[in-house]
Amino acid sequence: MSVLQAFNFRRKNTVVHRLDPRTKLYLAITLLIVSFIFSEVVVLSLIFLFLLLVLAAARSLSQWFRTIRGLSFLLIIVVLFNSMFATLGYAITFVVRLLDIMACFSIFFLTVHPDDLAQALIHLHVPFDFAFTLSIATRYVPTLAQEAQTIIDAQMSRGLELQKGNMIKRIRNYIPILIPLIVCSIRRALSVAESLESRAFGSTKRRTYLHALKMAKKDHFVILLATLAVIVSIYYKFLVGLPSWLTWQIPL
Amino acid sequence: MITAEEIWFTYPDGPTALRGVSLRIRDRELVAIMGENGAGKTTLVKHFNGLLRPQEGSVTVDGLNTLQVSVAELARKVGYVFQNADHQLFSETVYSEVAFALNNFGYPEKETRRRVQQVLRLLDLEKYRNSSPFSLSGGERKRVALASTLCFDPEIIVLDEPTIGQDGSQKKKLGELIHSFNLEGKTVIVVTHDVEFAAEYAQRIVAMARGRIIADGPSKKVLTNPKILEECALLAPQATQLAQRISERVKGFPTELVSVEEVASAIREFLGG
Repeated sequence: MSVLQAFNFRRKNTVVHRLDPRTKLYLAITLLIVSFIFSEVVVLSLIFLFLLLVLAAARSLSQWFRTIRGLSFLLIIVVLFNSMFATLGYAITFVVRLLDIMACFSIFFLTVHPDDLAQALIHLHVPFDFAFTLSIATRYVPTLAQEAQTIIDAQMSRGLELQKGNMIKRIRNYIPILIPLIVCSIRRALSVAESLESRAFGSTKRRTYLHALKMAKKDHFVILLATLAVIVSIYYKFLVGLPSWLTWQIPL
Repeated sequence: MITAEEIWFTYPDGPTALRGVSLRIRDRELVAIMGENGAGKTTLVKHFNGLLRPQEGSVTVDGLNTLQVSVAELARKVGYVFQNADHQLFSETVYSEVAFALNNFGYPEKETRRRVQQVLRLLDLEKYRNSSPFSLSGGERKRVALASTLCFDPEIIVLDEPTIGQDGSQKKKLGELIHSFNLEGKTVIVVTHDVEFAAEYAQRIVAMARGRIIADGPSKKVLTNPKILEECALLAPQATQLAQRISERVKGFPTELVSVEEVASAIREFLGG
């Protein structure tokens, strides 16, 4: 369940954590756009390097690596399939881009508290109900992961062996895990809904908030830089053309 | 026999749950493991069927080192009933729910049917044989979960918080059931917060706090010791409290009593037969 580590929020006091969640959302989206603009492995690697620096600045590098370790199986499959239908060089390029994408999302989710996420969305004129639903969903991901582990333990104690049998049998082995997980989630959702209602959720149209978000100078600075990065990327990629050392390809 | 030697366990990104726990549980013992929330009780018993492996130290079950055998192998020997039944119920009928473990362990069809029938009768669940486990009440679901472990007749039974959500009469039934397993020669390990239940049925109490065992002995020594109780955030059984209050006024009245029966007979004795 280490994949879900990415959702496990911990409050830290770093430059990245102190940025406004809207800024981080903007940063994540612009970096995402940039990693989609380029298909050159050198540029994608540079972006990756930059993302690692940001994660390091947020002191979340080790947590992020744990997430990636959980996804390494997926990455290996991507490499295998791509090298089967294209070249190995292409496969590696693709994986670097995938890592970029994952890091973009991680920067956002590792450094934005679910409550702040809701606030950010509300400030972006997303209706409160939707924002709240999203924030409560992120909040319950670690709970779900923990619950899944307990269910696996319980079924293994009754002699379930997940790794036993052929491919189809192995998929079927997950039925005793998935059904309790779904049933428990639905039960919990209902009880969360009840407790929300008993605390007068949605009783007034215009609600007030305990914490309000405020953009600081550093937020405007980051947004400016991110916008510039996108413009420069588009300019060089589509109008001027990249210098040759950036268009180097893996000769495989 | 279960032997734990100096085991340490830390959850990834989490607290150190066990800090050097050594414990020996002999065959045919009825042990209650008690302690405050987060003391490491569940972490400890998860080592007994191999769900968790000690990071330091060792756990052996009937001479088998848990590092060297799979959970599936150990599960046959050590039946583990989880706290929340909803974490394991998934079948369409109570019958197939109970038969799940037997199928996993490869019992023949006929034997499976016989065993399921027997355990459903034992736990008063016969009438729900073809019902969906999800349609049952909380207490009944808990009994189905219990049945799904008892059916394969493990030598050692671990019960995590079996009394939660059970009404008085079911609790009594459960206690008698545990007692009867023990009489049949099974080793029973109960993780519980329920002092009254432990006082009534367990012979031995292992008290834990902050990942360590802080007391281990007969229930009338452990559950009457105010220092241990305080450290484990437990209250003395009501029978003990009563005996202690009586002894404040009545000189010589015993205080190391834990069950209602013991207090009653002590009073009878004091009143002269």
